[in-house]
Amino acid sequence: MDSLMPSFASESPDSSILAPMNYPPQPDTFDELIGQDGSVRTHWQGFLKGFSALDDTDRQAARETAERLLKDDGVTYLAGQDGQQSDRPWQLDLLPLLISQEEWTQLEAGLIQRARLLNHILSDLYGPQQLLKNGTLPPAVVFGNPQFLQPCHNVPVQGGTYLHFLAFDVARAPDGQWWVLRDRTEAPTGAGFALENRIIASRALPDLFDETGVQRLSSFFQTFSHNFLEFSQRDDPLAVVLSPGPQNVGYFEHAYLSRYLGYPVVEGSDMTVRDDRLFLKTVDGLKPVDLVLRRLYSDLCDPLELSTESALGIPGLLQSIRAGHVTMGNALGSGLVDSEVLLSFLPTLSQFFFSEGLKIPSVATWWCGQAQERAYVLENMKRLMIRQVLTPQRNLSQRRLSSFGPDLTARDEQELRQAIIRRGHEYVGREIVSPSTTPFWGGGDQLRPVPMTLRLYLTATKDGYTVMPGGLARVSVQSDPRGHWHEPGDFSKDTWVKSGPFDHQPVVAPAHHTLALRRGGRDLPSRTADNLFWLGRYIERAEAAIRLLRSLFLRTSGEAGLSDEPETLSRLVSLLVMQKHLSPRRAKRAVKGGADMVEAELRTILFDPDSPDGLATILQNVRRTAELVRHRLSQDTWNILIELTSVPKDWARTKGQRMDDALRLLSRMIQHLAAVNGMVMENMTRSYAWRFLEMGRRLERVRHLSKLIRHLASRGTPEETGALNLLLELADSSITYRTRYRAEAKLAAVLDLLLADETNPRSMIFQLHTFETHMNDLPHEETAASLNPAQKIITRVCTDIRLTDMIQMAELAKDSKVRASLVRLLKEIDQGVYQLSEIVAQTYFSHSLAQRISGPQWLEGIP
Amino acid sequence: MIYQVTHRTTFDYTQPVAISHHVLRLVFRNHPRQHSLRSSLTIDPSPSVRSDGKDYFGNPLTHLTIETPHAALVVETQTTVDVEKPEPIHLDQSLPWDQMTDQLQGATDDEMLDAQQFLYDSPYVTIDDDTYDFVLECFPPGRPILAGIMDLTSRIYRDFTYEGGVTDVSTPVKDVLMTRKGVCQDFAHLAIAALRSLGLPARYISGYLLTHPPEGQEKLVGADASHAWLSAWCPSLGWIDFDPTNNCIPSDEHITLAWGRDYGDVSPINGFMIGGGLHTPTVSVDVSPVSLPSII
Repeated sequence: MDSLMPSFASESPDSSILAPMNYPPQPDTFDELIGQDGSVRTHWQGFLKGFSALDDTDRQAARETAERLLKDDGVTYLAGQDGQQSDRPWQLDLLPLLISQEEWTQLEAGLIQRARLLNHILSDLYGPQQLLKNGTLPPAVVFGNPQFLQPCHNVPVQGGTYLHFLAFDVARAPDGQWWVLRDRTEAPTGAGFALENRIIASRALPDLFDETGVQRLSSFFQTFSHNFLEFSQRDDPLAVVLSPGPQNVGYFEHAYLSRYLGYPVVEGSDMTVRDDRLFLKTVDGLKPVDLVLRRLYSDLCDPLELSTESALGIPGLLQSIRAGHVTMGNALGSGLVDSEVLLSFLPTLSQFFFSEGLKIPSVATWWCGQAQERAYVLENMKRLMIRQVLTPQRNLSQRRLSSFGPDLTARDEQELRQAIIRRGHEYVGREIVSPSTTPFWGGGDQLRPVPMTLRLYLTATKDGYTVMPGGLARVSVQSDPRGHWHEPGDFSKDTWVKSGPFDHQPVVAPAHHTLALRRGGRDLPSRTADNLFWLGRYIERAEAAIRLLRSLFLRTSGEAGLSDEPETLSRLVSLLVMQKHLSPRRAKRAVKGGADMVEAELRTILFDPDSPDGLATILQNVRRTAELVRHRLSQDTWNILIELTSVPKDWARTKGQRMDDALRLLSRMIQHLAAVNGMVMENMTRSYAWRFLEMGRRLERVRHLSKLIRHLASRGTPEETGALNLLLELADSSITYRTRYRAEAKLAAVLDLLLADETNPRSMIFQLHTFETHMNDLPHEETAASLNPAQKIITRVCTDIRLTDMIQMAELAKDSKVRASLVRLLKEIDQGVYQLSEIVAQTYFSHSLAQRISGPQWLEGIP
Repeated sequence: MIYQVTHRTTFDYTQPVAISHHVLRLVFRNHPRQHSLRSSLTIDPSPSVRSDGKDYFGNPLTHLTIETPHAALVVETQTTVDVEKPEPIHLDQSLPWDQMTDQLQGATDDEMLDAQQFLYDSPYVTIDDDTYDFVLECFPPGRPILAGIMDLTSRIYRDFTYEGGVTDVSTPVKDVLMTRKGVCQDFAHLAIAALRSLGLPARYISGYLLTHPPEGQEKLVGADASHAWLSAWCPSLGWIDFDPTNNCIPSDEHITLAWGRDYGDVSPINGFMIGGGLHTPTVSVDVSPVSLPSII
């Protein structure tokens, strides 16, 4: 056997996964794994040996680890579109792409040169425009490009660095040469996914990862952040990630980067410009923002001067940049050099700026704005990919951008030809690329070659650029590798760049910015506070719903079994209506149908993931708000929340619909909730974030308790019908009652325990006091000695509860069906809750959207 | 000709505005035939931040932020401006239109570079095949540029109906072409799109027009309005204005405020506010000729 290919066709039957017959490299294509002579490339050999030594159990374990991590981290690619929840799970093939160190060094040098070049071009075009004046670039490349933003011309850019964070899409030609397919200079996506892929791949294949000797990614993000923060003049700068918001497809990544870098993720309406300074609205007032990592298209960033239609930007942002108070990464208008129009000019531009050629060529591209190139494209249309460029970024989805020459019908070709003749500058012809192939595993028994492209990331440093040692490899498993390949891939891979023996880089500590000790997390954006408040409310709502369902299920079976006694039935059902699980109409029908029918309804609420009134919907709200504040939650808290919210989904699959299943399911969720509570109480720092979460919980608990008491205790004789025991159970106060009274439940005593007992952590008054304590600790305007509005409400409600004679209130007046004084008190409490919620919102959640002031809609010309 | 131009815009809000940001393009730009002799811009309530400068196209620009709560905003400019008549223009003595692209190719002098900023699609002016087909009738091969543009100007004047309220600032050119209705800015946008589709540089001008009251009636103060037309570039002749709404080549009765690629570049007042509820802008414009002695 050839010593160079030790892992091929070795003795173990398991290694058939790598038998050459099962991995046929394609003719005329470069394969990453197998060289021209049919042997495994040197830099893959160690890895491959280790990989083929994995047995079925190992592989299974790796797959499961990856699946679990993907689920735990909630990695999704497409967040909800059009308000629909349509997250697509991220697709990762665990087998990485390997790149040798020598090759990486070359790639690195080429990409750094290119990044510097693009930065020089931007610097010229948004400044003196020498490149136009000396004829190096035709004006159409700039003036015809919608990404040239006129208002950004001559806007000062700190240190001349337009591009802080950029990416290149590269592919390998059949001769092994790397080519750049696209420059990504606006707000390149995918770096977060590259990091996530690394975390998953290295944990799923830990031994392989260690043995292979792979360069680490984390220092790249540290380098980015360290250098980015240096652009601020202030000692303790505030940096934010500007996102279009959770509706955007990239939001997962925005939040991910935000967590990793420790910058808050914000939307335009979370910020405001005052006195030409950019501020973040926090619960503690306005905080100046120094640096913005922009994940929003440039022209949407300032509706005052850029696209006036944008509701995502910050009016006045450009003025604050001009005033030198804020640095954007990347600078507004950076998308200008993203354009494929530039590709064919880059060799000349490289000569112009550096007096040297391009180290890595671009894919061959002909811009139809020039006569000769246009003629070439028209002549060779069938062999090229025709791409429409110079289209505004935000309109991209509306137009057909790419035409694949070989697939053109005669009519399409004619139309395209016409368009190119008339508006040539909008088109380029591009060589059809057949990229290299790399092995795809997919968790099965076999590897197969699939076409691949690679996105590589760079960040600006003091003296140039640094490349992330790794990247996002994308493979296309559907297309035939011999066929033409022109779409980005459907699977991603981690990229392992092999490290040399002396590669250990110590982490560089920030030099300029000294670490200031801080306590309390004061920069809480008001939107995050809002979301935390609601997360608290939703968690509490879920807990209430789960406890209620469990109690009801318990009463439908066994010793305490549900009789067809109409009063009990209708009381149970009325609770379901109260919780909005059932409409009054369906409730009436269920009661008529008797115990079986009620049981059936209960099962739908519990198990049907599609029922809008079911448990799944309540948990979905928990999940959604948790995602929005994930950067404020610990990984463990997050994991428990994910477990909790995916319980019904997992159980629906098993079709376990027996009573016992239901009870086990509910108990498990209650345990998860207890764990969340424990995490929140024990592990969250007592910051504003914690207080808002707590305030939400407390208010929701008061609201729910009030409803329960009204439904179970305001009419009839609850002692006799079992309603009182149910009430104690739902309020989680049964044990307390029993230890205190050692007797049958009596209404007056129960009301005292649930309303007025300050030592009962489930009582109304306890919630209100806790709420008040939190509220007092939040920043507020110093006022006179008098109580503020929230304190007034709480004091009034608490006093009324304390002054109530419970024994008297428990009595039912003759000829009266309802305990009127109880109902009155509950109504007052409900009103108080509503007002407190409003006060919190008005005081702390001020992310109101600036609206456009439209001038006259049309001009009254004089005919 | 010397004019006194008063342009006053009032915004009445149904609720107080807490903070507002504005960009104004209301101060007249000068050009070889036009000079401002005196100009003032007043803002009520007075802004906490104000900066005056020039935009990318050289138009005077004012940024302001008002941080005092206010229920109304009044912006007023008063300008005394001197406008000269242009040299007589000989339409047939301009370059044949189909030679323009070659002339511009590879040109690097300032004037030609500047002209090429007005050659491509812009946010409010999208060029498509319909505009191309529409304009081609006015431009048979070899026709002098200015003769063709005058023909286009007359054709829009003749075939399109001036009607307010059917379009707004965002009405696409292709809709105007289809309905054949619109106001001055629609006609300017259409003509600009048409010329650019042929590779001829054209820009949008916002300004004012001296109006003449019907015979025997007195001119009403404040009844004038903003106006819009276009300007086209021709080698060796420079920029020549055309007004399709009035079927003429503007002389000294058209007063230029600003120019850009389309309305979006010269929109007189842009603003964003927090609070404010609903609002209605009221505009009053007055253009009056003044006799020289009164201003000296």
